[in-house]
Amino acid sequence: MNRASSNSLVIAEAAKCIGCKACELACFAVHNRDNGVGTAVGTVTMPVLPRLYVIRTDSFTMPVQCRQCENAPCAGACPVQAIRQQDGVIAIDAEACIGCKACALACPFGAISLYKAYSGGAELPQPLLQERRDSKLQRKTRITAYKCDLCRNTEIPGGSAAGEDAGGGRSTAAAARDRNPFPACVAVCPEKALRLVEGGTGSSRSLNREGGIS
Amino acid sequence: MENKILTVCPYCGSGCQLYLLVENGQVVGAEPADGRTNEGNLCLKGHYGWDFLNDPQLLTSRLRKPMIRKEGVLQEVSWEEAIGFTAEKLSAIKEKYGPDAIMGTGSARGPGNEANYVMQKFMRAAIGTNNIDHCARVCHGPSVAGLTYSLGDGAMSNSIPEIENTDLLLIFGYNAAVTHPIVARRIVKAKQKGATLIVADPRKTESARIADTWLPLKGGTNMALVNAFGHVLVEEELYDKDYVSNFVQGFEEYKANVEKYTPEYAESITGVRASDIRKVMRQYAKSDKAMILYGMGVCQFAQAVDVVKGLASLALLTGHFGRESVGIGPVRGQNNVQGSCDMGALPNVYPGYQSVEDAKIRKKFEKAWGTPLPDKTGYRLTEVPHLILKENKIKAYYIFGEDPVQSDPNAAELREALDQLELVIVQDIFMNKTALHADVILPATSWGEHDGVYSSADRGFQRIRKAVEPPAGVKPDWQIISEVSTAMGYPMAYKNSEEIWDEMRKLCPSFAGASYSKMEALGGVQWPCPSEDHPGTPYLYQGNRFTTPSGKGQLFACEWRAPLEQPDAEYPLTLSTVREVGHYSVRTMTGNCRALSQLSDEPGNIQISLEDAAEHGIADGELVQVYSRRGQIMARAQVSSRIKKGATYMTYHFWIGACNELTVDYLDPVSKTPEFKYCAVRLEAISDQAQAEASIRKQYAELRKQMLVGAVPE
Repeated sequence: MNRASSNSLVIAEAAKCIGCKACELACFAVHNRDNGVGTAVGTVTMPVLPRLYVIRTDSFTMPVQCRQCENAPCAGACPVQAIRQQDGVIAIDAEACIGCKACALACPFGAISLYKAYSGGAELPQPLLQERRDSKLQRKTRITAYKCDLCRNTEIPGGSAAGEDAGGGRSTAAAARDRNPFPACVAVCPEKALRLVEGGTGSSRSLNREGGIS
Repeated sequence: MENKILTVCPYCGSGCQLYLLVENGQVVGAEPADGRTNEGNLCLKGHYGWDFLNDPQLLTSRLRKPMIRKEGVLQEVSWEEAIGFTAEKLSAIKEKYGPDAIMGTGSARGPGNEANYVMQKFMRAAIGTNNIDHCARVCHGPSVAGLTYSLGDGAMSNSIPEIENTDLLLIFGYNAAVTHPIVARRIVKAKQKGATLIVADPRKTESARIADTWLPLKGGTNMALVNAFGHVLVEEELYDKDYVSNFVQGFEEYKANVEKYTPEYAESITGVRASDIRKVMRQYAKSDKAMILYGMGVCQFAQAVDVVKGLASLALLTGHFGRESVGIGPVRGQNNVQGSCDMGALPNVYPGYQSVEDAKIRKKFEKAWGTPLPDKTGYRLTEVPHLILKENKIKAYYIFGEDPVQSDPNAAELREALDQLELVIVQDIFMNKTALHADVILPATSWGEHDGVYSSADRGFQRIRKAVEPPAGVKPDWQIISEVSTAMGYPMAYKNSEEIWDEMRKLCPSFAGASYSKMEALGGVQWPCPSEDHPGTPYLYQGNRFTTPSGKGQLFACEWRAPLEQPDAEYPLTLSTVREVGHYSVRTMTGNCRALSQLSDEPGNIQISLEDAAEHGIADGELVQVYSRRGQIMARAQVSSRIKKGATYMTYHFWIGACNELTVDYLDPVSKTPEFKYCAVRLEAISDQAQAEASIRKQYAELRKQMLVGAVPE
């Protein structure tokens, strides 16, 4: 494996997580700025749709999120190639997604969910497909796959998309990132139970250990 | 232009410092600050809990104008009319029935210490009664009573930051992960640093999950377990003999009282293995530094004060006091419940825990306030419904920053009591369930709109600061109370909160040195702080000098008593009220925060075991009907393997699934704290879920409509 090209991922430690869901809210807020979340203007009209989920069983509590698999089974399962390897992350193209659920079924971690799409705080209707609601034909709400994108597609005010300035020097984006640290879930966790494991750093064995998979 | 204003979070007693981000006069965000307790961390309420300041009217609406009930309807009036009406009515009731026919509350929430000082001064000096109490009564009242008896001070002996450096944590009836996520952080850190973690809780809480030993005791058996702990310490001679002979009193009596509580006997009551009881006490006694933390699982039983004293006795027997990272910590729930106790919003003490029955102290306050003061302890908050309905003793109730219809047990009885009163005054920031019964509504400024001081759970005074302008037409709490007082012929006038604070400091020896400027310079000051040059006190009882009358710690044990209402054929399950991490108290604040209310909304959950769910045919997420002898409500089932068969748990924040319609108003004999943690209920599955969901939506819509009283029309 070419270590330098491996994907980064966010991992959680069950020994530290208290299940408070601050990560879920931070994730939801950072991905829905254009839906009126995270600012005082407007009212949130959409449900909380995070891209990671705090799971609570008898013996553990921790958020589960996308592993950014190197041989992503979700991408292999997608019939329209809406899931791609892109800049060190497995990315879903929401525009191209047809909502077929193949990726959610293929994911061994349960890290992909299908939800209604929102724009401007309102449900995003389909261009063509209609359904009968309240005894009249209406455009059906678009449903797409959601998963962790390591906050790559979140616009930060005063800067470019988070995490895109791989180059040296203090860019505006870097300054903006200091103010809006990312990934949002890692930055917000009061227990420091979440961590970004950078791809390509350290040996694959230590990456495995950090990822809790060896 | 964006401004950052440093203040203290208004949720829970952790005392986290944060910056409010203000743009064009509106709060747009919050950022953690490097406070003593939070060190740059916030939980989700700290991050997203500022939103209610923008009044999105999700659950209820902001009160913006004074209102008086005229012909049965609340109508907006001028401040002049509202103050005049309130003062006139209070004066008439005082004239006709005497000052003790009037009851007042403090507020453990947004208003801050200065407003509580002014409120208790108003009740004592202007009205002439000690009938002042607040929600500490339904919360850590037993801690104040029990720890004052055992140790001298009714507060955490040690500080929140010290938790992470202890060798052993004994957590009893305290779910830090949902109550105080930022205290939970210290527990997690302690564990990471190698501390032994012991958790006594009927539920597998997050602390229990990561504990070395989890003691899953049956609800309502605390005293039996604590006695058995004491029994092991004595019988196995694990206690510190030198410490006990030098600094502690009452050993022989204690020994006799715990004798019968062998671990085996305790196991038969609590269900906790005798071998575990022995093991954890050996670990506790042998640890150099060991700390006890406890919460509502101790205090919200009718045998609460006894258990508090019993827990303090464990630390006394083993010499775990007077140093860093030891002691006992009642971790206070509300942001300023420590403060409202500090300020004497209690029926038996003036500010600074000075007894109203002590003639010398009373004289000091009479001189300072220029009027004779009543000499007997006043009524307690939880006695109010009985005093109204059964004894006909209270005629007027000045409810300041509380919502007892939502927060107190047996809501139906409380509503009936309010409706029987001649005068109900509600002073608040939001319309709430109690305000529906008000004769007068006085709208106040919120956290974020006024200056002041909060006390964190570990006795830390910290400054809160005004970040945005309040809505036009509302006034700071202390100003409203001062105006009512002045209109009643006892003039009170203060320029600002600091002037009130300085008056208070002069009267309270243990707070005397905690000036605004010192808080500014140090970030906060922990009491006692007796003089200007004193830096404050991170841990109490240095040199093992206790502040009891004898100067020694007092041991205590007594017989275990079972909770009052036991499950039976008709009501076969037990119900305990609990908290949820994303909501706070009666939910007027967090229910009006968009992100928090979207994360978890009405009707609220009832946690039930896998076995009980299967038996009743209830699936996770379904709506169910819950009945008790006092009421019935609908809630959403949360089926969990972490719940024991026979027990159910409901969070007390929700308005539709309001568990206090079900709870019992049975009180601890000393602290008068209700038994929120134990009553009998029955569950019923609902076959038509769609109709039940529709009914919840309808109830929610109706409730919101009711709460729009006084909202400025859009």
